[in-house]
Amino acid sequence: MTETPPLDPASPEGRRAIAAVLARAGHAGVEVVRATALSGGASSATWRLDLADGRQAIFQRTASAAAAGLSRAVQAEVARRASRLGVPVAPLLAVPAPEDGLGDSAITGHVAGEALAPRWLRDEAFAGARARLADQCARALARLHAAPLATWAGLGLGGGSGVELLDQMFATYLRLAVDVPAFDLAFAWLRPRMPRTPPSCLVHGDFRSGNFLVGPEGLAAVLDWELAHLSVPGEDLGWLCVQAWRFGNWRLPVGGFATREALLAAYRAAGGVVDDRDLWTWEVFGNLRWGMSCLQLADDHVSGRLPSVERAAIGRRVSEVAADLVFAIERGCL
Amino acid sequence: MPVSHPDIPALLEAVRLFLRDAEGALEGRLAFHARVAGNVVGIIARELAHQPDRAEAEALAPWGGAKALCEGLRSGRISPGDPALLAALRTAAMARLAVDNPRYPTLARLAEGTGAPPAAGG
Repeated sequence: MTETPPLDPASPEGRRAIAAVLARAGHAGVEVVRATALSGGASSATWRLDLADGRQAIFQRTASAAAAGLSRAVQAEVARRASRLGVPVAPLLAVPAPEDGLGDSAITGHVAGEALAPRWLRDEAFAGARARLADQCARALARLHAAPLATWAGLGLGGGSGVELLDQMFATYLRLAVDVPAFDLAFAWLRPRMPRTPPSCLVHGDFRSGNFLVGPEGLAAVLDWELAHLSVPGEDLGWLCVQAWRFGNWRLPVGGFATREALLAAYRAAGGVVDDRDLWTWEVFGNLRWGMSCLQLADDHVSGRLPSVERAAIGRRVSEVAADLVFAIERGCL
Repeated sequence: MPVSHPDIPALLEAVRLFLRDAEGALEGRLAFHARVAGNVVGIIARELAHQPDRAEAEALAPWGGAKALCEGLRSGRISPGDPALLAALRTAAMARLAVDNPRYPTLARLAEGTGAPPAAGG
């Protein structure tokens, strides 16, 4: 990439550019006093903005131009439409244009809540929130999945049948040119089991504990819509049950906070339709998909593209996923 | 046997201790990377001691090794439901996990009912 790097939101130029974007979106006279880096995830970076009037906002930017997900403008529109269906999301304030020099980014209102899943999963202060969370997640997903495909028209979203999504993932695996026997086992096990029906709804695509803002009352916002695509409900439900988001609480397979039975009962009570066996297939698919992310992040380091101790170490998490896949396929549970 | 110089495990232990100190003195992303680096040093020490490659190669030898097994599963020649294959992949997965993350809960769960010890190292 030979493009000039985007402005640092914490620099005076970056803060002025953000204020100009906010003014254009109807928030005139807003001054950004401070921008504090909150986290640098593998695919996006987040800053908290302190505004002169005492309000706070969130600035999020895609970390690399090679990111596979939706542009911030499309993500923001998907989240806006989801919000109209009753899914809690952070309110959009503005999307910078390319000429603003801020990169592929979006500015949203600040929503009070804890984003660090290990914290809200363990802290006693969130016990009440955890008790409500399965119901709230089920209701949010049921509303999202009930919307007809026309709801998402004009956004150029990708997707496909289950078997097509598996084929895409397998092509990526072959491109990486590694031999992980447990992954090939899972691909072979999944191939005859993946649904062949065409997409019926929008799935969030990354609906997991790490993408929730959790307040004392439970689910405050569903974050990170960059992997939204057209699929079937089982994909979101199965992904929510993947081992990696249980943070050690494997006895509560739904994100480390609930049982599958509680999630499914609440999902069906909210009008959602999903077959138990499909859910299990999608859960195995989800674990394999997380394993593929580990392989790809490790490849960033091994190939020399993005040398990083964090990415190198994530490569050894392939062993965790391999063990989970063998366990799941041998015993029919996880 | 007394040696005149620190061996590899002793050098790794020195790096691990340094990274622990560094983590305490750093903040944010650098502190996090110091912790990750410390975990990586632990993986290296366990891999040298336990050699999971050898355990995996032995377990998968009946299928001609990892590469041939993967090709067999890709072509459909080998069935993913074969109980002997699943047992061998379990052995291989446990050997790797005991090195890469011995505290991962699935390691102990895999060992249950198989008579295998839960972890090869600490």
